[in-house]
Amino acid sequence: MQRKWEYSSFYATFKTVLMVTTDVYNKEYDVIIIGGGATGAGTARDCALRGLSVLLVERNDYSTGATGRNHGLMHSGARYAVTDGESASECISENMILRRIARHCVEETDGLFITLPEDSLEYQQTFVDACQRAGIRADVIDPEEARRIEPAVNPDLIGAVRVPDASIDPFRLTVANLLDAQLHGANTLNYHEVEGFIINQGRVEGVKLLNKHDSSHVEVRGRVVVNAAGIWGQRIAQQAGVNISMFPARGALLIFGHRVNKMVINRCRKPANADILVPDDTVCVIGTTSDRIPIETVDDMRVTREEVDVLLREGVKIAPSLATTRIIRAYAGVRPLVASDDDPSGRSISRGIVCLDHATRDGLEGLITITGGKMMTYRLMGEIATNAVCAKLGNTAPCVTAVQPLPGSEEGAPSQSDTTKRYTFGQRAAIGRHGSLAARIEKDNDIDNALVCECEGVTVGEIKYAVHQLHVHNLVNLRRRTRVGMGTCQGKLCSCRAASLMGELNHNPKSAQEDLAVFLDERWKGMRPVAWGDTLREAQLTATIYEGLCGLDKAVNLQGKEDVQ
Amino acid sequence: MRMDTVIVGGGLSGLTCGIALAKRGQRVTIVAGGQSTLMFNGGSMELLGNIDGQDVNHPLEAIAALPKNHPYSKIGAQRIADIAVEAKQLLDDASISMDGTADTNHWRVTPMGIAKRAWLTLSENLRIDDMGKLPAKRVALMCIRGYFDQPNGMLAQGLRDMGFDVQTIEFSTDDITALRHSPSEMRATSLAKHLVSNNALQRVADQINALASEADIVLLPSVIGQTDDNDFNTLQRMCNKPLRLVATLPPSVAGMRMQTLLRHYFKMLGGNYLTGDNAIGGKFEGDKLISVSTAKLNDMPLRANNFVLASGSFVSRGLAANYERVFEPVFDLDVEADADRDKWTTFGVLEPQAYFRYGVATDDSLRCLKQGRTITNLHAIGSILSGHDAIKMGDGTGVSMLTALAVARDILSSK
Repeated sequence: MQRKWEYSSFYATFKTVLMVTTDVYNKEYDVIIIGGGATGAGTARDCALRGLSVLLVERNDYSTGATGRNHGLMHSGARYAVTDGESASECISENMILRRIARHCVEETDGLFITLPEDSLEYQQTFVDACQRAGIRADVIDPEEARRIEPAVNPDLIGAVRVPDASIDPFRLTVANLLDAQLHGANTLNYHEVEGFIINQGRVEGVKLLNKHDSSHVEVRGRVVVNAAGIWGQRIAQQAGVNISMFPARGALLIFGHRVNKMVINRCRKPANADILVPDDTVCVIGTTSDRIPIETVDDMRVTREEVDVLLREGVKIAPSLATTRIIRAYAGVRPLVASDDDPSGRSISRGIVCLDHATRDGLEGLITITGGKMMTYRLMGEIATNAVCAKLGNTAPCVTAVQPLPGSEEGAPSQSDTTKRYTFGQRAAIGRHGSLAARIEKDNDIDNALVCECEGVTVGEIKYAVHQLHVHNLVNLRRRTRVGMGTCQGKLCSCRAASLMGELNHNPKSAQEDLAVFLDERWKGMRPVAWGDTLREAQLTATIYEGLCGLDKAVNLQGKEDVQ
Repeated sequence: MRMDTVIVGGGLSGLTCGIALAKRGQRVTIVAGGQSTLMFNGGSMELLGNIDGQDVNHPLEAIAALPKNHPYSKIGAQRIADIAVEAKQLLDDASISMDGTADTNHWRVTPMGIAKRAWLTLSENLRIDDMGKLPAKRVALMCIRGYFDQPNGMLAQGLRDMGFDVQTIEFSTDDITALRHSPSEMRATSLAKHLVSNNALQRVADQINALASEADIVLLPSVIGQTDDNDFNTLQRMCNKPLRLVATLPPSVAGMRMQTLLRHYFKMLGGNYLTGDNAIGGKFEGDKLISVSTAKLNDMPLRANNFVLASGSFVSRGLAANYERVFEPVFDLDVEADADRDKWTTFGVLEPQAYFRYGVATDDSLRCLKQGRTITNLHAIGSILSGHDAIKMGDGTGVSMLTALAVARDILSSK
């Protein structure tokens, strides 16, 4: 079952599927999946592994929705143990699976649930009991021990429980799922937005798409369509004449400029605002708030002053040093919650994951909606959706996504922490980001090894790899694939180097300036809500370089431009 | 030792003021914290490039249209004209040879190939006086292999849009190829450190002579001449074609050189330059500042008759902002800034941002205020002043030099 680390066939397959040709549009698929987040990618992978012909379409870039806008926390499930035992069990089971199949996306940090003087220690016992019921290892440790293993923790804590939480890179995870789907014959299209459905006699037979690269309209046929569009799934369903009532729950988070904690730190209390601090790569993230918002506002992801205030006030209670740590940006995402009482067929598999077969629910054949759930359970959601697809198509192949490693995590893949090999900073960082796929990055000459992004160790070779093989069309895409510009400098110098390099790879220097401006604008969206202290200084420095020195504002006009994602 | 004047901040404004005072016999100490924003200067000074989105062709004329709280308005258009001449002379005396006048802006060419209005530009840099009459037609743009801080594609396209015939030529020399083995060595300042010997420069010249034979002028990224313009002049003598430099992304070799030359000149005039020290507070008596304490000379405050605050904007930590307010961190002087944090900035990264214009409040003689009272012997100069906008108005280096010289005159005449 284990796939060995091998490239030649991979490379050949991948190269050919990258070209968007009319062949991609003209094929009739077994299944078309709408949505390029973790759930869509996981569903595409599962369907492809079971031998179905698959097309995945995404209106923006991959992982731009809730997938790319969360903590990057690989829940142990402990957080849900008291309130939602079923979700907790799902989490711990998926947690253990992801450690095997996606180890290049996971950092095994473990987590603490701390009790502060203002919290009740009684809750700790309830919590530990619930964890045990859900099958989650939960070790009560001494506060002294907690301070020793996690020096960043609030020293006033009166109790601590150690659980198998971890940190996960959702961007990398999504790309790995897409890559594997492609390796098994799937086609994937980003920047293709669903405009409507092809419906014939009560049956969905395909989708109508807008190709956002060239504004052309195309139709693609498929036997089953899976709506995996997250919170945007309500709108997608409407286009098929089907009603799903979603409850968008918005959560805001703050990223701090360096990694103050080694372990995930949670508050041991009933889930509330800003009670989880997660270490992610070189930074750490506090979150989240939780607010019901109107469905019309789900595209406005700008963080408000009130959200920032809450996150800061609560965050310092978990780790006091956050008060003096620079905040590099703020962002928000929307959880796609569906109330089970809104589901007349009662088909929701758990209180978390909701899978709707619109044939039985609404009399519309050929359409399935998979929603609810969490990034953490994306694979299980993919499995459930694929089971539903296979039932319709009469496919009986078993699901193997829980045992087959993702590309990048195969047996024998190089490890970032392998000290027996000599790697440069850039190579080591790339292995961390791409796992075994890092071997595809050109590094045979000094140009390819030259650093473009010094904070994150991104080389010229890695950028070439991303542009040629990871569906990168602009700098914002590049950031998601490589972390260019995600470090403490937030793209101060590297973004220009990367833009210039991409301009050369695409032979379009003029678009490179606009691309750069769009990238800086996207960075600024996250910085502006926390623009004081060093973040304001960095912003002024960026303006000094790109506007003062370079005059970018004279060459590019961003006004009236649609947000690029 | 008691000083005539203590200046907090050792960048363009602090050094300009210090030089003007030391030249007239004053005992001056400059407390210089760290990096100067000249590191981000491509080798040009801007007096006034833009008002309300309109490019300015004649800065001196345009000053009359500025709001009353702009530092130039406080100095007065008449004096500005006079001081601008003095500024250029001061740069000349410091061996910084620049061309241009305050009457009429020229264009500098930015690292991205965008033309921006400028007042003075280093003599060896590409400068365009008249867009209708380019200094040359055929241009060879020399690109150093593996050097990524010159966005060659953008630059070439920008030059073509201006009307040049551009040929892009990639080259390397043995020295540069050797440098590439370390991924972080390909920065302008590292290159400039290595391109100093006659042999190293000759190898660059050989490449230019061999590859750029068809050009009228040869453009090279500004990676030559860290300490003076001798390296450039040497290279020019070795080349068959006229050579011009183009600004790069930071770190800027030209900016570092300007900083170094100004500092040398200041020291040559007897000035005292305390590097790597920071002012941390001051002692006030009545409406006067008595002394300034620094991080390193904590038990030995610097006493002087006059003090000048030249500590820069947020970038240089002359201004600071926390969660609640914008403030001046050394003396807690009065600042002109919005109280509501939401007003400091706006979404849209290329939009004018309110905080660009924030700074310390001053009276018409650029004297600072503390709790509403004028501190009679404490002036502010340069980027820390409120009411101007280096980014959107293109007045940053101009405000730095001209307010420095205006304040120096005030201090000298007050004796």
